Amino acid sequence: MKGKRKLVGRFWTYVFAYLLAIIMLAPLMWMIVSAFKAPGSTVTLLSKLFTPPFTLESFQKVLMPGETAMMGRWTFNSLFVAIVQTVITVIVSSLAAYAVSRIPFKGKKFITALFLIGLMIPFESIVVPLFDMIVELNWTNTFNALIWPGMNLSLAYFILKQFIDQIPNDLFEAAKLDGACTFKMWWTVVLPLSRSSMAAVGIFTFVQSWNNLLWPMLVAQETRMMTLPVGIPTFQSTFSTDLAVPMASNVLASIPAIIVFLIFQRHIIKGISMTGIK
Amino acid sequence: MVQISLTKGKKVTNMVFEKKRKVNNYLTAFLFLLPFLIVYLWFWIYPIISGFFISFTTGSFGVDSNFAGLENFKTMISDDKFWSALINTLYFILISTPTIVMLGLIFALIVNSKLKGTVFLRSAYFIPYMLSISVIASIWKFMLQNETGLFAEIFKQLGSSLKISWLGSWGMGWLSILIVTIWWTVGFNMILFLAGLQEISDELYEAADMDGANAWEKFRYITLPSLRGVTFLVVLFQIIASFKLFGQTYLITNGGPGIATTPIVHYIYQIAFRQWDMGYASAVSFVLLLIIAVISIIQYKVMSKN
Repeated sequence: MKGKRKLVGRFWTYVFAYLLAIIMLAPLMWMIVSAFKAPGSTVTLLSKLFTPPFTLESFQKVLMPGETAMMGRWTFNSLFVAIVQTVITVIVSSLAAYAVSRIPFKGKKFITALFLIGLMIPFESIVVPLFDMIVELNWTNTFNALIWPGMNLSLAYFILKQFIDQIPNDLFEAAKLDGACTFKMWWTVVLPLSRSSMAAVGIFTFVQSWNNLLWPMLVAQETRMMTLPVGIPTFQSTFSTDLAVPMASNVLASIPAIIVFLIFQRHIIKGISMTGIK
Repeated sequence: MVQISLTKGKKVTNMVFEKKRKVNNYLTAFLFLLPFLIVYLWFWIYPIISGFFISFTTGSFGVDSNFAGLENFKTMISDDKFWSALINTLYFILISTPTIVMLGLIFALIVNSKLKGTVFLRSAYFIPYMLSISVIASIWKFMLQNETGLFAEIFKQLGSSLKISWLGSWGMGWLSILIVTIWWTVGFNMILFLAGLQEISDELYEAADMDGANAWEKFRYITLPSLRGVTFLVVLFQIIASFKLFGQTYLITNGGPGIATTPIVHYIYQIAFRQWDMGYASAVSFVLLLIIAVISIIQYKVMSKN
């Protein structure tokens, strides 16, 4: 009797779970299917949505050179900015975390307090003075403006420091006996051991950077300097009722993020859990 | 190590060596911290300080500004749009926090209940979070538009005369933004809860099974109490994220109708980059900074206690 009730409960959990999955995926399915319709198709093609003809014309229209969309260039900008920000964040934070964790010096409390500020204060509340700084530096529409501000160094620092703190001291002593200098110990002990947490921090940084809208929108006003999140709405604003071409641009813009997700799924999930445990 | 034992007994040499090592340590530590410090001080700390000073001036970007005393803060107190933006933000926190936190927990419980296809389910729930807000907003605008949106079209084709103005009013506008935000970010909260769920030891559940507890009792007396820390964290995360709300309103409702769906960051954007009033925008930014800093400090205090 109890076993049967359990089985029924299990059945409804399955129904509920997969129903939720369908609801979560439906908007994406709709985006993908619509993108394969001819340019000029509108929302009203609902009943013919899942039946042929399917075509690549909308994608061609998005990718056509001389079009207002510079999908290739925007994808490059987004990738470039995200990769550079990720590499800088991970390396710079790892070096700092290693120094505070392993080198004896006074003033660590001060350093910790200083770095905590970056954790407490949201980037959104400093965009106005930052933008003023960028204007003064004459950096608008440059990669410098896209890359340097807005990296969440503090978060990366605290996550990485937690891991470096846990590395057994013996390993450093052994490296020291081999004659390793401080930098070499970072390279041969810290880097290999904290690889998985660095990967998690890195992927997390990459995703944040890839999806950033507010800051790149402010500093990249020229079409060729835009990132995907900035370019996409600009491009789409010229289509009022056409569904297919905007959806094709959405699909193209999402492909890199989805590939990253499929490859690094485990790291992404670990990265998020770590920001939580912090 | 070897060197120290060689100088053993020679106290003076030892002290000199000690001192030298100390100086050396400072120098190495400084060198390792230097790249971090340059970027961090330049692009985080300096803007915080300069923002504080800019909020006492009037002027625009890249031009000389004039000292204005407390003028900007006085303006803020009597600015209906500022209060409206603040109230809008608080309203969004009020409706988004319980819904997104609860849904995040439900999603996590499903993914954690060892169903077949768990990886697929987890990916399906999480994948919207990977997409850029621009793509999310574009999809949902096509769904929500009055008259020409997908939902309107579905109602029409079903022969219903029902017309929902998804973006046409304060209430519906915020409901739409809530739905989009849930769809976009619920996966993030799910992962946080999932991490919490996986830390609960199986032994607790086994012991409860022995005592003949049913599923609800196990949830009520084991799962929920064990998740208290994570829940607190997710709630604060959600509140902070809601204070930073921008992309959804900027791209979907454009803050409208009127200023009905303009939250605080969106309002800062309008003052700074539509009216080019840098001083006033900095003053409003500073209020936002203080609010979030206070919440973060509470979060930090509670978390370091655990």
